[in-house]
Amino acid sequence: MSRRILALSLLPLSLVLAGCAGTEAPDAAEPSSAASTPAEGAAGSSAVTTSPPAPAGTALEVQVAGGAVTGDTGRVPVPLGDAVTVTITSDTPDEAHLHGYDVTADLPAGTPAELTFDATIPGVFELELHEAGTVLLTLQVG
Amino acid sequence: MNLLAHGVGSRTDLPIPLGLALYGAGAAILISFAALLLFWRAPKLGGPGSGRPLPESVQRVADSPAVRRILQALALALSLVVLAAAAAGPPETRLNLAPWALYVTFWVGLVPASLLLGPVWRAVNPLRLLHAVLSLVVRTAPGAGRLPALGLWPASVSLLVFLWFELVYPDRAEPATVAAFLIAYAVAHTALALWFGAGWFAQGDGFEVYSTLVARLSPWGRRDDGRLVLRNPLTNAIATPETPGLAAVVVVLLGSTAFDGITRTVWWQTGPGSANDSFSGTVGLVVSIALVAALYLLGTRLSGRLAGQPLAIQPRRYAATVIPIALGYTIAHYFSLLLLDGQTTWILASNPFGTPGTDLFGTYGNVVDLTAVSPDTIAYVQVGGVIAGHVAGVTLAHERALLSERRARASDQLPLVVVMVLFTIGGLGLLFGF
Repeated sequence: MSRRILALSLLPLSLVLAGCAGTEAPDAAEPSSAASTPAEGAAGSSAVTTSPPAPAGTALEVQVAGGAVTGDTGRVPVPLGDAVTVTITSDTPDEAHLHGYDVTADLPAGTPAELTFDATIPGVFELELHEAGTVLLTLQVG
Repeated sequence: MNLLAHGVGSRTDLPIPLGLALYGAGAAILISFAALLLFWRAPKLGGPGSGRPLPESVQRVADSPAVRRILQALALALSLVVLAAAAAGPPETRLNLAPWALYVTFWVGLVPASLLLGPVWRAVNPLRLLHAVLSLVVRTAPGAGRLPALGLWPASVSLLVFLWFELVYPDRAEPATVAAFLIAYAVAHTALALWFGAGWFAQGDGFEVYSTLVARLSPWGRRDDGRLVLRNPLTNAIATPETPGLAAVVVVLLGSTAFDGITRTVWWQTGPGSANDSFSGTVGLVVSIALVAALYLLGTRLSGRLAGQPLAIQPRRYAATVIPIALGYTIAHYFSLLLLDGQTTWILASNPFGTPGTDLFGTYGNVVDLTAVSPDTIAYVQVGGVIAGHVAGVTLAHERALLSERRARASDQLPLVVVMVLFTIGGLGLLFGF
């Protein structure tokens, strides 16, 4: 008997929750895009105040010395469509390769090299040193 | 080098939105308890003898040894092309057909193929053809008498070995590794089949057992009198025999997919797995599988104890009910890999040996379109797969409990349902990336 009462009281609850899920599903995507606002950004020009902001561009920087990576390492969020520049300085000659986008940059020893691309493909991608196999950073576009 | 968390691939999925993860988890919990309280009180799915028979002509073709041998010969020819590409094709993973064909198109593609068409690998397994030819020379199978007692345990070992190669071994994506693996797999399983008889493939060949298990959720079944039937996939799943070792296979599949999810999290990449070597990977894989196994054993045994049933048979009794949960995990983790990076196989197949000027299908110049499926679609399929698998699992477990005891109390099933909820929330957590 008590089981049936519990069951009946669960039913409207499930409807309420289902209703919430239906109406708020589009909003549910918002926290992730809000969270993925770049740490870096606003290269140059004055603050943008208009509602459709032009992609501000993301500048990232990593250094490799003695096999250790410093700078903007780890998981780096970038908004979709952003123009991204990664400046890489390596103490040994190597080649940097961004998977998925398939862009590469030659890295002469000790000289900063730039990797530029528009972040038009959503997903999570590794930026890797071809020779050493070291992952410099993981780009999270979206 | 092209090493990602998965064997090959250029990308991984974005974390699912927090809201979607929470709604998914809430739905899983709610459906589970509603299932216990509101679902049927007597077994409802048809038994092993149920189903709508397919026309005789269809069955004749499907069961025809000649058709199977032809399909196996085709599969053998394709496998040899992949093996030759692995051995003699371009050394870079990005340009070599073999890693993509094995890890993406074959291993991941086996899931939708088996789900739509039934146990396909059983019908086309090229090793069955190799074995049939060799058994013309080697006529006796000395170990055949011992095979039934082994159940599906050999398959769990076979799958574990493959999954270690796929998810842990640092050189997994190298064409040379793929060549060595394919040769070793073919030699080992053909030799074991010569020792144990042709029955080995259905119990020891990990790929075939995987395909057969996934096919348990296809609409195609075989009635207990051998007739091919069309029936409710859940009826098909509940008719899975309680073979020893089935639980081990299911736990290995679930635990390894969970491990693949763990390796994609920032926590793993910057913490325990930061060394990105064999040792951390092996420990991670073993711990993931052990954790899933411990939870599963705990849930089934506690449920058995509450119901006053013998404990030893419980894990085997409920193993089939975890197949949909493992399948949901698999869809969530690999669906985008098959659709996006899987395009690479079709591009490289046009020129398997990387010879300049060769373009067999006119696709060699194509570029993989990584935007073919939107991140929203991927997220919804991921959460939908996990939740659908959970609902099917809970439904099957409820039915199995009623089959084991007509007057089974709903509360007895609570421990197993709680474990299933933990698997599902864990799975959603991994998709969210914690």
